Amino acid sequence: MKKLLYTLLILALLPISTSAQETALKGKELFGDMEARHIGPALMSGRINDIEMHPTNTRIIYIGTAGGGVWKSNDGGATFTPIFDKHVQSIGVVTLDPKNPDQNIWVGTGETWTRNSVSVGDGLFKSTDGGTNWKEVPGFENSERIASIVINPNNTNEIYVGVLGALWSDSEDRGVYKTTDGGKTWNKILYVGPSTGAADVIMDPENPNVLYASMWQFRRTGWSFSSGGENSALYKSTDSGKTWNKIHNGFPKGDLGRIAIAVAPSDNNILYSVLETEEKDKNGLWKSTDAGKSWEHLNNDFGLTVRPFYFSRITVDPKNPDIVVKGGLTGSISRDGGKTFKNLGNMHADIHDITFHINDSDIMYSATDGGLYRSWDGGSVFEIVEDLPLSQFYHISTDKAEPYNVYGGLQDNGSWYGPSSSPGGVNARDWNSVGYGDGFRVLKHPTKNIIYSEMQGAENVWRYDVDRNRTRTIQPLPKKGDAELRFNWNAPMAVSTHAPDRFYMGSQFVHKSEDMGETWQIISPDLTTNDPKKQDQSESGGLSVDNSGAENHTTIFTIAESPLDENIIWVGTDDGNVQVTTDGGKNWNNVTENLTGIPANTWVYHIEASLHGKGTAYAVFEGHTTGDMKPYALKTTDYGKTWKSIISEDIQKNAFVRNIQEDYENEDLLFLGTEMGLYVTIDGGKNWSHFTNNMPPVAVHFIDMQKQTNDIVMGTHGRGVIIIDDISPLRQLNASILEKDVHFFDTEAFTMPEESGFSGSFGTETQFVGGNKPTSARIAYYLKKRHTFGKMEMEIQDMEGNKIASLSPGKSKGINIVNWNYTSSIPKMAAGKTLSYGGFTAPRVPAGTYKVVLTKGKDKYETTIDVKYDEKSLTTLKERKEQEQLTKQLFNMVEELAYMVYELGELQNKANSVIENHPKGEKQAQKLQDELEDLRKDLVITTGDNYVAAAEPELRERMADLYSNIAGSFSRVTASQKQNLELISEEFTEAKKRYSTIKNKEGEKFMKFLDKNELEKPTIKTKEEFLSED
Amino acid sequence: MKTAKTLFIALLLIAVAPLTAQTADEIIDNYFENTGGKDAWGNLEGIKISGSVNAQGMEIPVDVIQTKDGKQLVTINFQGQEIKQMAFDGETLWTTNMMTMQPEKSDAEMNENMKQQAKKDFPSPFFNYAEKGYSLELMGKETIEGTETHKVKLTKEPMMVDGKEVPNVTYYFFETENFVPIATQSEVQQGPMKGQTMTNSMSDYQEVDGLYFPFDMGISGQNLKVKEITLNPEISEGMFAFPE
Repeated sequence: MKKLLYTLLILALLPISTSAQETALKGKELFGDMEARHIGPALMSGRINDIEMHPTNTRIIYIGTAGGGVWKSNDGGATFTPIFDKHVQSIGVVTLDPKNPDQNIWVGTGETWTRNSVSVGDGLFKSTDGGTNWKEVPGFENSERIASIVINPNNTNEIYVGVLGALWSDSEDRGVYKTTDGGKTWNKILYVGPSTGAADVIMDPENPNVLYASMWQFRRTGWSFSSGGENSALYKSTDSGKTWNKIHNGFPKGDLGRIAIAVAPSDNNILYSVLETEEKDKNGLWKSTDAGKSWEHLNNDFGLTVRPFYFSRITVDPKNPDIVVKGGLTGSISRDGGKTFKNLGNMHADIHDITFHINDSDIMYSATDGGLYRSWDGGSVFEIVEDLPLSQFYHISTDKAEPYNVYGGLQDNGSWYGPSSSPGGVNARDWNSVGYGDGFRVLKHPTKNIIYSEMQGAENVWRYDVDRNRTRTIQPLPKKGDAELRFNWNAPMAVSTHAPDRFYMGSQFVHKSEDMGETWQIISPDLTTNDPKKQDQSESGGLSVDNSGAENHTTIFTIAESPLDENIIWVGTDDGNVQVTTDGGKNWNNVTENLTGIPANTWVYHIEASLHGKGTAYAVFEGHTTGDMKPYALKTTDYGKTWKSIISEDIQKNAFVRNIQEDYENEDLLFLGTEMGLYVTIDGGKNWSHFTNNMPPVAVHFIDMQKQTNDIVMGTHGRGVIIIDDISPLRQLNASILEKDVHFFDTEAFTMPEESGFSGSFGTETQFVGGNKPTSARIAYYLKKRHTFGKMEMEIQDMEGNKIASLSPGKSKGINIVNWNYTSSIPKMAAGKTLSYGGFTAPRVPAGTYKVVLTKGKDKYETTIDVKYDEKSLTTLKERKEQEQLTKQLFNMVEELAYMVYELGELQNKANSVIENHPKGEKQAQKLQDELEDLRKDLVITTGDNYVAAAEPELRERMADLYSNIAGSFSRVTASQKQNLELISEEFTEAKKRYSTIKNKEGEKFMKFLDKNELEKPTIKTKEEFLSED
Repeated sequence: MKTAKTLFIALLLIAVAPLTAQTADEIIDNYFENTGGKDAWGNLEGIKISGSVNAQGMEIPVDVIQTKDGKQLVTINFQGQEIKQMAFDGETLWTTNMMTMQPEKSDAEMNENMKQQAKKDFPSPFFNYAEKGYSLELMGKETIEGTETHKVKLTKEPMMVDGKEVPNVTYYFFETENFVPIATQSEVQQGPMKGQTMTNSMSDYQEVDGLYFPFDMGISGQNLKVKEITLNPEISEGMFAFPE
């Protein structure tokens, strides 16, 4: 202990002797308080997997979403808050502890509606404090998807977990698991085989020893899907899972597919099941009235049989066993025990889960591909929850507008564009539709106001003329002699930085158009493996054919024209080929064999042609459709002859990579979009850091860097568009900066914006509103250590060192960003009875260079920043200088009045004290007091309140309002304002004269009285003292 | 120079604290030890914090007074007008309506919640927390503002919000290096932010008559910059009471 004390003393005395430890170029602290902002949209929400109602508190509802984590409502479903943002965002099931629902929440991750684009889970999690903190429950690390968590209401330590398991590979982790010690230890109590998982596990509502489990044999590849097989079956256990028996009495013979199962909460003998069978007329709803001993087929309507892998949820009214709801394309409801059904009311298609309110079955909640809906009338009319920015982007892009727009396509929610900032925040109404169906890539024409968008499999590619509101379909069509074109579900498109009208698309060939898609030319051979085994999708689906086009394979997936040379084009295919041409498509070089460490046929998800060298490119690969979740990213600098992996151990093992974005200035700064969020490297990939500041580990499908703003814009598959504003500080970070105690980053000149408009926001109380990009000056600095002890302050000063404004500096270790809105301080106002709102305006500084002074303990650190006038200004420089000069004049006038009122008040105080304490001088003092009060009443408001009892404005109010109007607008001062100024100046001069007269007459007499009686004179601060105090 | 001395003292304080803390109690003990000693904290009768809230161009002067018996007063100054923004005399919580500038009593729930904890939270909710019925849990380590902290969960008695009982939980983040809290987090219980996590931060710890206080506090996105802290300030009973 003594030695330690000595060491620390030495350290304290010799602060120069820093630790010899090498500074790491990674870690959360690199990013300090750089925060991501979310702009949604929630207008098109996203897919929701599961809804969980609180068993007793009707205000609380949870949802588990396909790609956006877990959300909780505390207000009966009006608004929601994300509560699972540190963990994987793909959710299978949310279950509350029936005994302790306020505290204990279980979350099984991994979406269970196994469409082509589903993400992956990452285990089982539990919160014991209502969702604030989460711990992973060991034993489910490889579960991939968890479908069910069932808790014995009499003994909540007894829990069953149904693991559906891996979608694209065999897995022995599938099956039904049980714990009897609250999750410490688990036993697998039902396992059928490596391709058959637990699709549903439910418990008898009255007898917790009775369980039902539906087991499903299923498999997906990149080019096919198969549902069903001899192992699919419905099981029942009556001994708490010790033994299981098939309950198929009445079911058709042959293979079964996905089986839905539900028990009526009000009658445990009644079971409903939905089957996928080999006999089409036996598909659909089955019912048992003897707890599964026998089954009767009731209904095979379309609504009950459609796409079993996607819709397999049955919900029975908690009070009435005859009211049955089934998820589906539209959702179906029966009120006669399942004999007949009608569609649920209009809402977004694809209903995955439905719940009833615990007390009132008229109130229902519905989880769809487009968000959460509520019904108040038993399912006839639905309204959307407007607060869930769960949008699932496949792709995004940006333009050069100010503020720039973000374009992108969504799973089952069309194509859209919206602004990155908007008055009052990015609202639902700011988004514009530019495509139907599933949306994917949306690209802005580089120079014209034209947008390209597409729907699945390039069934339609649209060219939308925004100004004229005209749409054309322009997808490449086969001409005589062409092979049948194979487009990916998410077909690649690209525009050129060299020729604005050029437009590329990829099937198995590269198609090029020089006239915005009017005419097409094929400029490549088939660049894929053209493997016929992967090309027959007509039989895909298994028991229920499901040929939606989603499994089209052996197609081109990414096209990148080099920004340095239009003849260099890179192509990546979904079956693992990387091809490059250096002569505009005359010759293609298949460089797939040169790739290092990439398993054969691994999907090439994105190629980024570099700005830093013609032969330089990045390629990312992902093998999740073969069960390979590993991250892969390679870099070449020699046109693909050699490749180097840029993945490090820092990246989570199952964070497969979908995108990479290079910085346009610093070649070593890269952004990696993975299934588990964003990673950033500042040293070319040797070290990676997970970016987690307001950024959940959501699947990042596409990243763009907006050139004018240096913003990183991410299209996520579950949390909409997420932006990190101005990453330029990261560009400058290096080992030597990390060694400094304080380092200011260089910034470009900041523009003081002049635009102003309106942002009425009535009716948006429960809507999601995205944050705006700050328009203020962003002062960025690096702190080596978090500042905790001693003073640390920041000031803006003019170049002579006069204080302009004081700011609140961030104290974080890492990068800190402080915003300054270009203003100095507000004027000191005269005291009145009410507030003069004009006095809350702070004048803006003139353009120029300003000092930023950071005081940290005894040390001072300085930098300068430049601020400039808005280039879009409507004002001439001369007019602006006049506006600044008049602002200053009025500012001074306002403060002069404040001082006058103060001084007058001090005289009044003295007069009052004489009136009270010295009868001899009462008359004299009263006269002075009265005259001063008469004057004061004309200077400031002395009656009324700040609302409807407000008094007429006096000189202070009128002066401050004029000051505020002139200071707050950045245009020419109007003639009317100048006339008003003249009037107010005259009034003020008049008032000063009156004051002077009072002081000279009654004031003088009063002073003499004080002198004569040896009374203390009023102590009046100087104007300077008065103005500098608080 | 004074700041240099402060920093030096801070480093000395770090030196006397045990370098590892295994339990929440040890962290709290270290905190009190490093910031002036538990006895000194226990002797505190009241505190007055004078500072300003800086909101882009506006520096609004704020005075906060808290006493051992749970009285509280927050006064702000707008254009020369002293406004009692919030006051509590141990029984009645009240505010000033900014439209009428007249005092108004807070609603019964809020009043009750204040009554329940005002006295117990002085000088710190951690001070003799067990006697107050509060409980602590060490949640582990977490990086906050780029630096490693001990995350400690403080649970007080539940509150009533909009007719329902809700838990009253705040997480404190004690910097591992010196055991002073640099941030707190709690869930917003009502209004448009309901359900979201509110983070407050603390820095610029400085010594006042032997005790250490943060002189910079980030409170729901705004900074309270402290100019002066007075221990055991002069108070009059009338200043907290609702003007009848």
